[in-house]
Amino acid sequence: MLIMALIALAGCSTEFERRFDEAERLRAEAAAAGSEWLETVSLLEQAQQAASRDDLDTAMELVERARFQAEMAVKQAAHEAETWTGRVVK
Amino acid sequence: MRKAAAVLGVIVAALLVQQNALAGPEEDRLAFVAYFESRFPEIPFAQFANGIYAIDSDARKQWLEIEEFPPYEFAVERGNELWHKALPDGQMLADCFAAELPDIRGQFPRFDVASGEVITLEVAINDCRIEHNQPSLAYDSSEMIDLTAYLAFEARGTKVDIRVPEDQAGALAAYESGKRFYYSKRGQLNFACADCHVASAGQWVRADRLSASIGHTTHFPVYRSKLGGMISLQKRFAGCIRDVRAKPFELQSTQYRNLEYFLSYMSNGLEWNGPGARK
Repeated sequence: MLIMALIALAGCSTEFERRFDEAERLRAEAAAAGSEWLETVSLLEQAQQAASRDDLDTAMELVERARFQAEMAVKQAAHEAETWTGRVVK
Repeated sequence: MRKAAAVLGVIVAALLVQQNALAGPEEDRLAFVAYFESRFPEIPFAQFANGIYAIDSDARKQWLEIEEFPPYEFAVERGNELWHKALPDGQMLADCFAAELPDIRGQFPRFDVASGEVITLEVAINDCRIEHNQPSLAYDSSEMIDLTAYLAFEARGTKVDIRVPEDQAGALAAYESGKRFYYSKRGQLNFACADCHVASAGQWVRADRLSASIGHTTHFPVYRSKLGGMISLQKRFAGCIRDVRAKPFELQSTQYRNLEYFLSYMSNGLEWNGPGARK
């Protein structure tokens, strides 16, 4: 029973790391485009802290919020690259 | 035939949009001025240098009262002392600048061909210190704010005349980069600088009214009553960026220097009137 629980925990931890890496990759992409949002790094840090105290539910929730923010920031940058000229005073 | 004409029409329309977006700096400035003069026909052009106090008459009365005993006066006095204090090698900061007072403030921001970058007043001061083997000043340090406050005070009454030499590709690219930054939405709230300070200029945001962008760069550094201290123009940029919940850039980053270049050009023809006082 204990072994099963440990295996499940290890699986969650690996899944957390995968999601964390994905969120960080998107955050870096947003930053490179000059479009990073204010809280993304803080959410990632909080997620890591939660993971380090084995609170994986909280860690997963935080990393998902960070990933969503980073993804939206990347999309925002791509959208603005196409549309900003429409706002120029003429 | 009809299909070909439609395709041609789309291409021509796209080229016209592109041409408008890439209008030269002077076309941009004239359109900018015309927009704000049309939005606020009762405000004389020169008054735009006073920011929101050109638009909000009640706030203007309070501001004029504050100007009776200017809260930035101490910064100007300290800056005066720092400016006239010899560096350890006996040279003066003034020796680094091509212009003399009162025209030093007005030389910046400018595009530097050698480095391929926009040089602001703060960067020029630090370049001078480094040239004389002195450590750089932090861009939000009291010494830097005091020096820029003094140079701004000395420049009062002179006209903003920022140059974007159209035969210098780098200058035009820096200007265009600042322009793109200004008009691009960013952050969780999805706002561009222009959303607040062009489209919504004069509108209320909770208890405050939004200023017009024309004249934004003429009066910095400013004493902000709510902070109880002086801040630089780029510190204000960072505040706005944070307000729309985007990650601010470093002070004097390429992004902010290019933005300052674009916005300063938009204020050409107004008077330098720093340092200022704001809520």
